[in-house]
Amino acid sequence: MTIEDHIWQNASDFPGKTAIVCGGESCTYEELKRRIEEKAGELSAKYPPGRIVCLRAYPDIDFLVTYFALHKACCAAAPLEKDIPEAAFERISAEMAAHSVPEGTADILYTTGTTGKSKGVIISHRTIIADAENLIAGMGFSHDLAFVVNGPLNHIGSLSKVYPVLMLGGTLIIVNGLKDFDLFFGAFDYPAGKFATFLVPASIRILLQFCPDRLAELAGRMDFIETGAAAMSQSDMEALCRLLPYTRMYNTYASTETGIISTYDFNDGKCVAGCLGRPMPHSFFSITEKGLLVCGGDTLMTGYLGDPENTAAILRDGLIHTSDIGAIDKEGMLHLLGREDDVINVGGFKVSPTEVEDAALSFPGIRDCVCIAVESPITGQALKLLVVTADGEKPDWKALARHLKTKLETYKIPMNYGLTDKVCRTFNGKIDRKHYRNNG
Amino acid sequence: MLEEALPLVNLDSEYLFSELDSLGVTTILMLLSDKYDIKLDSSDVTPKNLKSLESLAALVERKIADK
Repeated sequence: MTIEDHIWQNASDFPGKTAIVCGGESCTYEELKRRIEEKAGELSAKYPPGRIVCLRAYPDIDFLVTYFALHKACCAAAPLEKDIPEAAFERISAEMAAHSVPEGTADILYTTGTTGKSKGVIISHRTIIADAENLIAGMGFSHDLAFVVNGPLNHIGSLSKVYPVLMLGGTLIIVNGLKDFDLFFGAFDYPAGKFATFLVPASIRILLQFCPDRLAELAGRMDFIETGAAAMSQSDMEALCRLLPYTRMYNTYASTETGIISTYDFNDGKCVAGCLGRPMPHSFFSITEKGLLVCGGDTLMTGYLGDPENTAAILRDGLIHTSDIGAIDKEGMLHLLGREDDVINVGGFKVSPTEVEDAALSFPGIRDCVCIAVESPITGQALKLLVVTADGEKPDWKALARHLKTKLETYKIPMNYGLTDKVCRTFNGKIDRKHYRNNG
Repeated sequence: MLEEALPLVNLDSEYLFSELDSLGVTTILMLLSDKYDIKLDSSDVTPKNLKSLESLAALVERKIADK
């Protein structure tokens, strides 16, 4: 069965149950099915089966209707960042249209590669169901749960939560980020027995800092909170458990390539930072001699689109070889210790510094540059761009940031800028990233 | 100060709130709290208070007066 088959089943079993709420709009399972059917009819007339179709992941019902309708029209959905520059959207759409996908492909999810260029991760319908079943078994999603999604729907963190909710006939409440706290907390006024949500550690930090009282008011209603995608500090974990003592708090290991792998309820009295628990039913993991995490099971990607070389580098013998350094304790729990590659994690968004540098080099007057990670009180890590200019003068930082905005998604644009004499390089001319990691 | 921390945001906009994302809102709250030693919380984050630089300045003045 596909996720759409489950929606169809729920439209038959619970036609009047609310499936999705977003702002002032909502739709029942019956309406959701009808809207998907209508949209699928339009899309079938427009695109041949097997076509990859890009769409902007706006946080609304229309996006999800189109997403599911593409599946029903036998196309692959490629949801992109909602604010991706138009030129990048067009370029990726053209690239995607030229590719064919393996049978059973549902989505192409764009993710930051370790080598600088974004890659299209091929996700099958089987993967979607395995992710959903892992989440249901691992965290206890249920029919009477209302799940509040506040993150970008083109990322696995939020998109993957749509599946178990709609599979079980629960209610999905979409909120546009955390910018308007009233809207976020207002979502929990919906008449539901219990709630759950996914928050990246940076969002938890924001809520703990600016509205701990309002968070505490959710204590009787919040069934569980899931976090992941970035490291969370021990003090934030403990503070969250104190505010919501009866809520299960899951720290999950997942990535676009591996799918949802394992989770750990840190509201267990021990509250172990960096622990990501045991593998879920469809998954298994091990650690290599070099200390790197290897994942297996039904949630893995099929491969990178049109990129057999990079696929072979990470997907071997049916296992994903990650760049995450990990350890498994005596109880079979996974602990993450760091990353082996140069990717910078900005509040759960993975950024390849090379991609930022390539974009910055096209700004007039910039001779060389390096994108480094600096500490941030909210996102853990933030991006800083150090530049070498032809005339040694400071460029217009605002103009540079705006230039980057025409080429990159917003989360890839550095918040900090600085001038430097030269970029440190290794003997073979590559940027000496270790130097910058050690010296900041 | 805000100009440097939020290079992408047009701070002169009359629709500042719509230009910001959650990180931008948080950045403003943190910088203003630190700089003026005032306590800002989620109830201060309203589209009205964050409409423009002038409305932000008025918010800070109110908070300083309430100290």
